[in-house]
Amino acid sequence: MTFDALVVALAVEGVLILGSLLGLVLLRQHLTSRARAVDAGVCALEPALHGWLVHGSDVRQIVALLRAQTPYVAFRSVARLATPYLTFERQQILAPLLRDEAWVRDMLRHGQSRLWWRRFDAARLLSIVGGDADKVLIGALLNDRSPAVRLVAIDAAARLGGQLVAVELDGLPHRQDAVQAYQIAALARHPRPVAAALLPRLLPDAPPAALNAWIDASGALASPEALTRVRTLATHPRAEVRLHVARALRRHAEPDTVPVLLALLADGDWRVRAQAARALGALRARSATPALTVAVRDRSWWVRYRAALALAQIGGEAREALLVVTRGEDPLARDMSILVAGLSSAAVVEMSEV
Amino acid sequence: MTDALIPAWFPAAVHVADMAILWYMFVVNSFFALLLALAAPQLFAHWRFGSEDVLARSLTSSAVPRVSILVAAHNESVSIVDSLRSLLTLQYPYYEVVLVNDGSTDDTLQRLHDAYDLYEVPPAVMRRLRTERVKAYYRSRTWSKLLVVDKHNGGKADSLNVALDAARFPYVLACDADTLIEPDALLRLARPFLFDQKIAAVGGTIRVVNSCTVDDGRVIDARVDGRWLSGIQTVEYLRAFLFGRLGWNLLGGNLIISGAFGLFRRDYLTEILGYATSTVTEDFELIVRLQRYLKEQRKPGKVVFIPDPVAWTEVPTSVAVFGRQRERWHRGLIATIVAHRAVLFNPRYGAMGLIAMPYFLIAELLAPLVEAIGLVITVLCTLAGVLAPGFALAFFATAYLFGTLLSLAAILMEEVSFHRYRRTSDTLRLVFFAFIEPFGYRQVTVYFRLKAFVRYLQGDHTWGRMKREGFGGAQPATTPEPSPAPPV
Repeated sequence: MTFDALVVALAVEGVLILGSLLGLVLLRQHLTSRARAVDAGVCALEPALHGWLVHGSDVRQIVALLRAQTPYVAFRSVARLATPYLTFERQQILAPLLRDEAWVRDMLRHGQSRLWWRRFDAARLLSIVGGDADKVLIGALLNDRSPAVRLVAIDAAARLGGQLVAVELDGLPHRQDAVQAYQIAALARHPRPVAAALLPRLLPDAPPAALNAWIDASGALASPEALTRVRTLATHPRAEVRLHVARALRRHAEPDTVPVLLALLADGDWRVRAQAARALGALRARSATPALTVAVRDRSWWVRYRAALALAQIGGEAREALLVVTRGEDPLARDMSILVAGLSSAAVVEMSEV
Repeated sequence: MTDALIPAWFPAAVHVADMAILWYMFVVNSFFALLLALAAPQLFAHWRFGSEDVLARSLTSSAVPRVSILVAAHNESVSIVDSLRSLLTLQYPYYEVVLVNDGSTDDTLQRLHDAYDLYEVPPAVMRRLRTERVKAYYRSRTWSKLLVVDKHNGGKADSLNVALDAARFPYVLACDADTLIEPDALLRLARPFLFDQKIAAVGGTIRVVNSCTVDDGRVIDARVDGRWLSGIQTVEYLRAFLFGRLGWNLLGGNLIISGAFGLFRRDYLTEILGYATSTVTEDFELIVRLQRYLKEQRKPGKVVFIPDPVAWTEVPTSVAVFGRQRERWHRGLIATIVAHRAVLFNPRYGAMGLIAMPYFLIAELLAPLVEAIGLVITVLCTLAGVLAPGFALAFFATAYLFGTLLSLAAILMEEVSFHRYRRTSDTLRLVFFAFIEPFGYRQVTVYFRLKAFVRYLQGDHTWGRMKREGFGGAQPATTPEPSPAPPV
């Protein structure tokens, strides 16, 4: 009985081993041929795309070329070439021509698939060919359970602008911090529609959690209009909001920003002071040298660190002021200034960024 | 041998022992098959994610978590400058490298001074962990990411604890000074954060660097070593990482994150008092302690493994060094399971207590004993005529072919997904080594793992001497004031 069982097990193992070896050969062949097909598709599409973009040749040539491919190859070719080649305006021309192609309809049906990578492919395609008729699907993909799908859906939403961007911005506060940061980074790739949607939201009476996310998005966008509005929030009663304001304002190189940051450098919350010092350094605010020299003696390690880095980053007289502190009597300020004064200017910039 | 010499009960006893070993084999192999089945869909998902250029772009954004890379170096004079340069040039926006010179007696520190223009800085570090005395802290004028700590010799775990204290960022990546991390590995390792997972630790894949072409600290051509010992270890590493650890993601989390390449939440490591200095496998012990702490304190945090961030390490090419390594690993396993025996079969610890730890006890710790007993009984009884030669042959073939099948599955998964070995000759080598692994290599491994029991019982806690070939050829500091934990 035991021997028979062993023989059966052996036979099963033998079959599985042979199957694995065969699978190895077939899979290698399949993957190689599929990669070759995509490469060939890209090679065929590239001259047609180039002809249209540079020489103004007929765009329908591109549509016809894609129609001749399998849906997978057509999708992969477009996805690979869209980012480096197609500007927003060119996409607006190409999208309606492609939208009703059978292979596109075929791929977009995956938008409701149970498998995330299929929904991801649909979202990716929508970021290239999506139109007004797809707003419902894009809206659903913006709230997809997979963050990967949501990230790509942001590109599709930003292309259509308006209401869809608003949906995304309103959803931001409900995401966890890390996910929120990734989504803000994705939004920052589309400054125009996002800044327009942000402006009416940057109000003092907005819910603080939402306000923080929107301030961060304004900072990531570096939009002057949005950051001018952010500046008005510097006196917000909540320290958390002031912290986000100070952090975002380092991207707002306007003369009126420095006095606001100097006020934040005297804030009661050490996190706000540290971020204000960092922002003043990033803006190379020479007029902030005396205040930053005082901040190097702050009771908080982080404020001293950011203030010393800011002085080094501003350079000139500010750096001289830092060197004076290295010979001073305050041991905390002296240690910090020694730590920063030894850094090269490239190193100062790099450390200030982090 | 005549029948008269064999007691009447002996054949029945042999039958019972054989049946027990067969059942052991069946249960353990079924578990391996389960791990394989659980790993395959995850591998596909990770591969899809990793191969999308749009997502790769998102992962390079400023949203990535800040990471401190911790490196312990002891007498690494020959390779330290190159290893460190590869760490300082990773594709990751926000990180620092904290290198601890663990009382090197060669010119490791001088080489660092020369190559990175170091200058001494005040010890602005909060010392939370008890370690050997730190001599000095240095920063580099040319690489702001670099912090070098010079300390008295205290071993790897002690050095990592010093680095942990000196780290500024909320996540730390512990890696060996002789491990080559791929440029985008850290970005890939940060992927779980995008998926909104509450992460306590993340591990990536370790691959074998022997015979690969390495240039400027980077693997530029992945090859499979033709020598049997390192070739078989290449297959073994693929098997362990591509489905072993991936499978555990769905079975209560991993209990091993390689000490050569793992990302951790710094606050959790500090709360469990860092690395244990009294163990010879500090990575395994750390994860068991961390998982235990998370359960006991009801803190959120998973220990996950993702397959595509890759670090490369050199494996032993001589049987003597290989034996010392495997003996040490097994001794560490025994010590850790004994130390944390309260977790075994304890429902309070959930899947860790009911699945993971029992697995390590039954399928890992006891495996060499069972294998050796099975081997000896079967051979002796076949020679004595108690067992039919056909049965013995079928017994060995079933046991060993299953291992081969698992190796082939791992090679298949590698081919379908990451496909790092581009040449057909390398794939053929992997297949060849998968087939020869049961003949000699396994028995050698069993021997050294059995030796670990003896040395453990003798109370040996030493590492044993390791030899590398090379690539391509507790006193608190006088701290004025600690830095607060969250960088702002």
